[in-house]
Amino acid sequence: MSSEPIERRVSYIGDRLRGSRCRICGREYFRIRDYCGRCGRSSIGKMEAIDFFYEEGVLEACTLITEPTNKFKKLGAYVYGIVSFHNGKVRVPGRLTDKIVDPKNLDLDELEGRKVVPRFRKRHAVSKSDIVPTISLTFTFSDEYYPYQEYKIEPPKKEYESPGIVGYGVYVSKFRIREGSLERSVPFIDEDAVTAAVEAGKLALIHSGVDNSKIGKLYVGSESNPYAVKPIASKVAQVLKLGEEEVDTGVQGVDAIDTEFACKAATSMFKDATALAYYPDAQTSYVMVIGADNSQAAPRDEPGGELDFFVGYGGCAFIFGKEDVIAEVEGWYSCTSDTPDFWRRASEPYPSHGGRFTGEPGYFKHIIKAGRKLMEKMGLKPSDIDYFVAHQPNVKYPIKAAKILGFKEEQYLPGLQVANFGNTYSGSSPVGLASVLDIAKPYQRILLVSYGSGAGSDAYSFITTPQILDKRGRQKFTVRRQIESEFKEFVDYNTYRKFKEGL
Amino acid sequence: MSKVPVVIGVGRTAFGEHYELDPERLMEEAGLEALDSAGITRRDLDACYFSDYFLQLTNKIGIEEGFLSELLELHVPMEKSRSFSAALSNACFAIMSGRYRVVLVGGVEKMCDRWYKIRDDLMLLEDPWSYYAGGTPESNHELMLREYIKKYGLDERSLEKMSMALAYIAVKNHRNALKNKLAQFKVPLSEKKVLESRKAAGRLMGRYDFAPISDGATALILTDLEKAKELGLEGVAIYGFYSATDYITFPSREDRTSFVSCRIAIEKALKIAGIRRRDIRLVETYDQSTFLEMVTLEDLGFYGRGEGWKPIYESYESQSPHYEFEGGMLYVNTNGGLKADGNPLGATGGAQVYEVFKQLKGEADERQVKFDEDEVYGCSLEFEGFGTKAYVYIFGRV
Repeated sequence: MSSEPIERRVSYIGDRLRGSRCRICGREYFRIRDYCGRCGRSSIGKMEAIDFFYEEGVLEACTLITEPTNKFKKLGAYVYGIVSFHNGKVRVPGRLTDKIVDPKNLDLDELEGRKVVPRFRKRHAVSKSDIVPTISLTFTFSDEYYPYQEYKIEPPKKEYESPGIVGYGVYVSKFRIREGSLERSVPFIDEDAVTAAVEAGKLALIHSGVDNSKIGKLYVGSESNPYAVKPIASKVAQVLKLGEEEVDTGVQGVDAIDTEFACKAATSMFKDATALAYYPDAQTSYVMVIGADNSQAAPRDEPGGELDFFVGYGGCAFIFGKEDVIAEVEGWYSCTSDTPDFWRRASEPYPSHGGRFTGEPGYFKHIIKAGRKLMEKMGLKPSDIDYFVAHQPNVKYPIKAAKILGFKEEQYLPGLQVANFGNTYSGSSPVGLASVLDIAKPYQRILLVSYGSGAGSDAYSFITTPQILDKRGRQKFTVRRQIESEFKEFVDYNTYRKFKEGL
Repeated sequence: MSKVPVVIGVGRTAFGEHYELDPERLMEEAGLEALDSAGITRRDLDACYFSDYFLQLTNKIGIEEGFLSELLELHVPMEKSRSFSAALSNACFAIMSGRYRVVLVGGVEKMCDRWYKIRDDLMLLEDPWSYYAGGTPESNHELMLREYIKKYGLDERSLEKMSMALAYIAVKNHRNALKNKLAQFKVPLSEKKVLESRKAAGRLMGRYDFAPISDGATALILTDLEKAKELGLEGVAIYGFYSATDYITFPSREDRTSFVSCRIAIEKALKIAGIRRRDIRLVETYDQSTFLEMVTLEDLGFYGRGEGWKPIYESYESQSPHYEFEGGMLYVNTNGGLKADGNPLGATGGAQVYEVFKQLKGEADERQVKFDEDEVYGCSLEFEGFGTKAYVYIFGRV
């Protein structure tokens, strides 16, 4: 049993790595301080809030932990040490994450002195009914898979008539499992849907240059929330400080909510985000939509285990707004039917799968309907569209759907990422869309059709703007980089299952 | 003029695992021995000062003073602190002020009753934020050692010597414990075994570099100089004591190669005692790790910073039971230290006083040190946390 008040206070500080700076002497502190130890009473009211969430630190000293305390045992061996920020002004304890440590072949000297970035992760194991503890005193080397990137708020340059995407971020873990021609992303043992959502949102903020306090609404779509009741969105909003921050009460002035509709939980909200950004009286300058999943699957020898060959892990976030748009939303069409092709009862850990009936009556019926209807509505032919992106539970389905709708390889292959990451469920078609936005030229049209079991599809047409090129340089952590990184690490089946189950 | 506190009796249990015994029973054993050794009875006590870190967690014991009241059938003032040294501080102040004439100071810990969770408890006590980041009770020792090596730029040859010096600390403490029938580890240890354990751990320090968890209790009777004379007892006087405090989070400390709390406490204590450092020939350090014995000898001012390993290495070469300090002999952890005698947190400080008392009184049996000088002083250092608090006491014959 954990204490909720303590958990609230620890994660409030630890998730964002909040600190304070004395405006008189410049001294910095990890953790919030009302006055400076050096300047005393005269510094009351002169302390400014800082945090180290987007900062780069240095691993000053480290040691190998092979006999952790009880709650850290599932991590196995890990590296623990001292991380400094701002040239040693602040030092904090920290654990290296995303690292499978072989105690026999570890050179601590080689790790010390290297630059690190904080990563938002699960803190340690707890029992099943407890609050999942989180923290950002977990670090990875910034010269490896996940780069250090400054978050620079850019004042908007141009307002558009119709809203659209102003920035996006894709986060896929560095671990992969390779079976046949499929590579799939595997979370590290301290990752879950919540940590992926936060990472994706962070990357989207970095890419967009949008002021986090101007985001008025957040949707997080997921089907693998570790809680049946408690939103992922509240964590994301607090950690990323979305909306106006009320410092005194620790409240963010944002509406944050989770959505669920199998793999279309996120895409469904694109239209809501667009509408909100468009509606003048709503005063929501920007809306963030995240799709994130630690895609669930029963072990392959159990019922529902057929999914175990396809599931991935990751998150994708989009920010919608009217300023500095990189892809305008041209139109949409959605359809829904009560088709039970895939489901998970509330108390079950893994989803059940309709087997042969997931294809024709589920996936194809809805994707084709939504895709055709939208093209019809907008008077578009397949040749008017530069890129086609569909939900991608495997390689076969989206290709077949693309062909039925009349698309050619050059239109559908760039957005087909399932062979690189596996099925990232709520993040599946969004990751495909992001990979296309990574390469699209101005004034290109993208057709996105998602699919959520249960069942339904959302089709959207986007048209890129010249600003897509301006913003491209701001994101180092592109989809391509995550596919091709030399720091990707492949794990075997047992490790994959263990990591997926998590702490 | 304040009175001089004098220890007139000491008692302790064996340290180790006391599966069959409740903490009260351990306390009783140590307390009775202390009363007997002072030749007084419970009715002579004006107050009790008591210490434990975790009894509420490990034994769900309720208010400790209530148990002590039952054990002693006394209704005198009783107070509880965390470490034995903290309880002793309060007792000293009470004696010095003249408020009480005879008090009992006792400490107990039953860590082995919660062996399955005690490392988590220890770490949360040391620093919650380090715990949240994945720290263990050993990790700060290791980090400090690594920072120490970097700061002083030790070359390979020096590193080898320091490593051997640290191994010898464990060996020497085990050797001392062999002569201490109440010690937790009465088994010989070789440098080779220490080095092998480090290799197995893949770190600079292995299992034989660290103190264990223990059960145990200790007690002493404290009075003032006049009262001791009245009772016809010589005792061992506390001529100076001081404590100092440091940040809880080790990484955020400015200096991570020494303990500022220890450095402050010794200087103040020496000044109060009005003696020179070279008058001290017996030291009980807080050797939670071999490295801590070495580095705190620097912090206590016996050796220069970055140089503590040198005299210890020389002792290793000659396999001598003491270190050299300013041409004389410095005996460190003659009871085996925390490393081999054991470390039942709330009782540990009491074992340090017990040892100094026995040595200065010439009652340390097999392990009795033969001091060259007539006027010698003993010193104890106890930490709470990883140097978060440091207590230094200076003892001398009356």
